[in-house]
Amino acid sequence: MKYLTIPLALAGAISLNVQVTAAETILNVASGGSENMVQYVTDYLGPMFEKQNPGVKVRVIGTGPGDAGTQKIIEKLEAQKNAGKKTWDIDVAVGNQQKTAELVNMGLLKSYRAKISTGSLATRDTSKMALGVNVDGYVMPMFHSQTAIAYNSDLVATPPGSYDELRAWALKNPKAFGYNGIKNGMSGVSFVVGWMYAYAGDAAKLQNGPYDENTKGNWDGALSNLKAFNENITFTPGNAGTLDMLNRGEIAMGPVWVDMFYSWQADGRIPPNLKLKLISPGMPGQPYYYSIPAKAANSDLAMKFIELATSPKVQAEGIVNRFNWYPGIDARHVEKSLDPMVWKKLFTDVTPDELAENGKPFPIAPYFSDIKEAYELKVSN
Amino acid sequence: MATDTQANGPNRIISMVLVAPSLLMIALLFLYPLGFSVVSAFAESGSWGLANFYKAYQFYSRDILFTIVIVLISTALVGLFAIAIGGYLTLGENPRAVAILRWLYRWPLFIPFIVSAQLMRTFLAKNGMMNNVLIELGLLDQLQSVSFLDWRGIVVTFVWKQTPFVALLVAGAMASLDRTTIEAARNLGASRLRILIEIIIPQIATTLMVGLILTYVVIMSVLSVPLMINAQSPTMLTVDMAFRINSYGDYGVANALGIISYLITGIVAWFYLRQGLDNGGSPK
Repeated sequence: MKYLTIPLALAGAISLNVQVTAAETILNVASGGSENMVQYVTDYLGPMFEKQNPGVKVRVIGTGPGDAGTQKIIEKLEAQKNAGKKTWDIDVAVGNQQKTAELVNMGLLKSYRAKISTGSLATRDTSKMALGVNVDGYVMPMFHSQTAIAYNSDLVATPPGSYDELRAWALKNPKAFGYNGIKNGMSGVSFVVGWMYAYAGDAAKLQNGPYDENTKGNWDGALSNLKAFNENITFTPGNAGTLDMLNRGEIAMGPVWVDMFYSWQADGRIPPNLKLKLISPGMPGQPYYYSIPAKAANSDLAMKFIELATSPKVQAEGIVNRFNWYPGIDARHVEKSLDPMVWKKLFTDVTPDELAENGKPFPIAPYFSDIKEAYELKVSN
Repeated sequence: MATDTQANGPNRIISMVLVAPSLLMIALLFLYPLGFSVVSAFAESGSWGLANFYKAYQFYSRDILFTIVIVLISTALVGLFAIAIGGYLTLGENPRAVAILRWLYRWPLFIPFIVSAQLMRTFLAKNGMMNNVLIELGLLDQLQSVSFLDWRGIVVTFVWKQTPFVALLVAGAMASLDRTTIEAARNLGASRLRILIEIIIPQIATTLMVGLILTYVVIMSVLSVPLMINAQSPTMLTVDMAFRINSYGDYGVANALGIISYLITGIVAWFYLRQGLDNGGSPK
């Protein structure tokens, strides 16, 4: 009898274990975004989804911001595909534009937008095209974000309205403008892309294609001007670095992400005298996408999750009110579910008209790479 | 003699078996990826060539030079400070100061690079803690304050982080020296500095070299410090490698840069091994 108890106890433990895992389905969400995007799921969306779906646990994996974060998701899915796995362990992927487009091209995603009820609410062209790649059906925008120039209104009475005016201002105020180059976060990349839209000729072609590899031969003027401009400014260590330096009064102006700016201001990490200006001819912004890997283990649950995430109520409360992003789905559906004050707050410094006029997409992927390489070769080396 | 019989005797198989797990680990986790990255650096769309290296040179020649200079300056300063600390611990005459220093100097050893970088980022900024303290003390004027978040910041962080490691080795070696030579020199009237330079350092030179070589190799591999502190170009090779992969998905050039890093550390490794051979066998 004594000898029986141990195996019995073991068997009991094992069956108990099985019961626990059976009762709990785990939905793996991989988020290739900054810390706030992970928080958005852990603190807000995840608990809401778990409440609506008993027995489901949402597990978030933050793979880091920028291209690097989504690149890690690509590598993981590609490895599972090459290993011949029947199911892959990421159910929902949250990725940036360029890398999600790569995922679509590599055939690693599932087409699902038509199957969810909120699919038709995403009306901006970003839900069909991502930097020149047709992603129609494979993605739902989580939010749209935008870069703009933040400035200290105590020191700068009339902020520059265009790249030309900004250059003149930076010349008169040496080292007072700061940005983070192109290797330290996307706000700096955005500033450079905006510069190219302003000075490298055909901006529409950079945004929509078709790609012609000889185009980059015409950029020397724009790049040498940028190199001269760089002599007179301060470099900041990263997206957060720019905001930190604005906060400490080390620079008076610099490109930032609008959502980060508002969130930091709401937390008191930057003073209220900092304001935003979206300068002409425009600076880029981008959506982040929800997508489902082609062989996701829980793809039905994943669709349900994305349906909740892109419903007008969640988009209003979570995306706009709590995290200060521009909505992923059509703004008209969101505005109805939102306190007018909150809506107004989002558009205090950058008006909807300015956003429509000067909010640009990033260039199509091959031009994007060309711009970054040209910057490395001719501006920073 | 004894080693010879062991190497050829019946124990040989057993020793091979005992070595096998670690050998396998090295093969799997180091040699295989190394081979992989070498292949990827030289391979280009089906054929072999140096295009990746050419591109690495064309794009990052300044960064390669910058990396070498930063690593050399940092390693030299680490050596200097480690000797100073070790020297004071061995020769210091104020027991309280020695005790405090002994307690204090190891702290940075337990702080990861990324945390050091974050600390320095707020400490060394233009309106950061260091300048603010200096201004409060009246030692610096607000308008004179400059940011150290450039190559100087990288060097400061590396030196701050790595000095305790080398100092620990050096101080240990100094403590185990035969003190009679030091006493003899002191009796003959040598100053403490002279004792340090002429008596102690020559005796602990091997340990110092090992510490510095390890520091050099560690500094070559750190990504977080240059990424967080130095926003400007030129920057260090690790940042470029990360950028090639993350931004362009370009493993070819990233691996070419990796091989260039291997070569830069390889030179030091060669000295290390050669010195070991001179000393009759294995490097210490």
